[in-house]
Amino acid sequence: MTEATRTLLEVTNLKKYFPIKKGLLSRTVGHVRAVDGVSFAVKQGEVLGLVGESGCGKTTTGRCVLRLIEPTEGSVKFDGQEIIGLPFSEMRRLRRQMQIIFQDPYSSLNPRLSVRRMLTEVLTVHGLANGAAARERVGDLLRLVGLSPSQADRYPHEFSGGQRQRLGIARALAVEPKLIIADEPVSALDVSIQAQIVNLLRDLQKEMSLTYLFIAHDLSVVEHISNRVAVMYLGKIVELAPSLDLYRSPRHPYTVSLLSAIPSHDVTHKKTRIVLKGDVPNPAKPPSGCRFHPRCFMAQPVCAVEEPPLREVAPGHCSACHFAEEVSSKTPAGV
Amino acid sequence: MDRPSFIVDRPSSADALLRVEDLKTYFYTDTAVIKAVDGVSFEVNAGETLAVVGESGSGKSVTALSILKLVASPPGRIVGGRILFKGRDLVNLSNAEMRAIRGKEISMIFQEPMTALNPVYTCGEQIIETLVLHEHLTRRDAKTRAIEMLDRVGIPAARQRVDEYPHQMSGGMRQRVMIAMALACKPAVVIADEPTTALDVTIQAQILELLGELQRELGMAVILITHDLGVVAETADRVAVMYAGQVVEYSNVLDTFTKPMHPYTAGLQASLPKLGEVVDRLRVIPGTVPNPARFPVGCRFHPRCPVMVEQCLQDPALESIDGAHLSRCWRAREIAARTLDPAPPPVKA
Repeated sequence: MTEATRTLLEVTNLKKYFPIKKGLLSRTVGHVRAVDGVSFAVKQGEVLGLVGESGCGKTTTGRCVLRLIEPTEGSVKFDGQEIIGLPFSEMRRLRRQMQIIFQDPYSSLNPRLSVRRMLTEVLTVHGLANGAAARERVGDLLRLVGLSPSQADRYPHEFSGGQRQRLGIARALAVEPKLIIADEPVSALDVSIQAQIVNLLRDLQKEMSLTYLFIAHDLSVVEHISNRVAVMYLGKIVELAPSLDLYRSPRHPYTVSLLSAIPSHDVTHKKTRIVLKGDVPNPAKPPSGCRFHPRCFMAQPVCAVEEPPLREVAPGHCSACHFAEEVSSKTPAGV
Repeated sequence: MDRPSFIVDRPSSADALLRVEDLKTYFYTDTAVIKAVDGVSFEVNAGETLAVVGESGSGKSVTALSILKLVASPPGRIVGGRILFKGRDLVNLSNAEMRAIRGKEISMIFQEPMTALNPVYTCGEQIIETLVLHEHLTRRDAKTRAIEMLDRVGIPAARQRVDEYPHQMSGGMRQRVMIAMALACKPAVVIADEPTTALDVTIQAQILELLGELQRELGMAVILITHDLGVVAETADRVAVMYAGQVVEYSNVLDTFTKPMHPYTAGLQASLPKLGEVVDRLRVIPGTVPNPARFPVGCRFHPRCPVMVEQCLQDPALESIDGAHLSRCWRAREIAARTLDPAPPPVKA
């Protein structure tokens, strides 16, 4: 692991504001701050999990990194090169190294292209292989994701959900990328199929020393696959830590309540659970101070006034809470 | 082999509140007969929660719709079995008789509150309609009751929000409205079809807690349809595991999780990543869920089963293995005696 220290992706102060337009003249009356100052780095060969509830900005963050959505502000460096502001042609060249796997294997494959045409098109567009070489490569790719080369002439509708997700993975791998952004890759799949795809993603990552930004809302899947995990709430990262630390000793009350909300499979020990009050607030009008304070079981007067910065509270463990030192996984018992 | 009568050690089961016996609901298309539900039996009593667990296509939702006789016909039809509710067989009831039961005695909470609520009526109006129809209240009284119900399910400022439309509410709030609507007439049985699947985990926790509270308060029976084993472990008293249109295992919740007696149940549990339990690779049930138009012969799980033997090409019956613990597997007795491990083996990279 000589490359382990090299940073492959560095995101600094990333922001994406979507305008809210109203009226006849479509005047901008406000902004939805979907991503509001997100910074993180992913090392070569590392898996960074990005978790949060719907509307927290995790998907928008993933798309901004690939510039599938143009960010409002901030910097994204890939392999040391700034990609925000790069012209389209260069961006296209770079995308060969950064690929995305989508959530819904039903809508992310073109229904009118056979598997062979779909994969050959990717190979020729990027100038990687033609003719007989492409033919051979398609077979290799299908074998790599656990399908058979004999299935190459079928169309997407002839495959099951899990097999389609394998095709999505094959398409992403066709260009030999360094970074893969996996946006909820297993949440649309059946329970018995999820484990197959998680294992496949993990095997491929190890074999090809790929780097993943793994976006999901399921904390147990993320724990299984990630080296480090970032938790997002209302457009901001509230906690970022090595996987083991985050799950064993979370240092943000939101992480504590997220973990406690997951139904446990253990029927012999019923756990005490913190049930958060209320809904996730509207990202167009985020609360003052700490955005989590209206739902927080630890909130103090200062939380409504002052926004806590993301700071290192233990080696490699960052939390954006004024009282991070007082948060422990035992907190729920007192609530 | 004689098929032992269903749930042998429960003499009271003849007068269960709701009892489904060998239900079969088929869909007739031009090219095939789809046996969506093909041998489902379970029962549920007042104050109890029965979880019906299965993956997509296992027939769990069609089972729910069959109980309320909401399966579109054609193409669907209940072709066999009985649905005994308070001693009456719902299968033989007329439409008019069913209408008097739906929403009043047996009601349903759907997965997607946005599509299940009518967008052109206010939330209050939809509850009022139910109350006027079934409880014969005046509109004024019904509105008061609707506000009480919305308040009870935790909608803030219920008096104002009773006049709001579904689109003005968040997903969690809409699901609360659905619950208020389903419980307005204090039904004996509530069928909740994936009630929290569309919601975030923190909201899911709120909704499950609310359902539990209301169940204790009103003493209703709940049939919880879900694919999430975590939700099952936390809320169910009994569990019916479905695979390919059939109940393959039926037992109390403790036994389902501590000593599963069907390889599918064991495999599902083994394949889930568990929080705080990091393993190198997850165990895997190979293959995919079968197409309901072409179920495998014999035991429908046999092509994916790690302990399949030749006998599995013949139909196994759902039978008692250990008292009230039922399994539809030829090798269930070996599994029960712990001479056979039904979980898929650990996979090597």
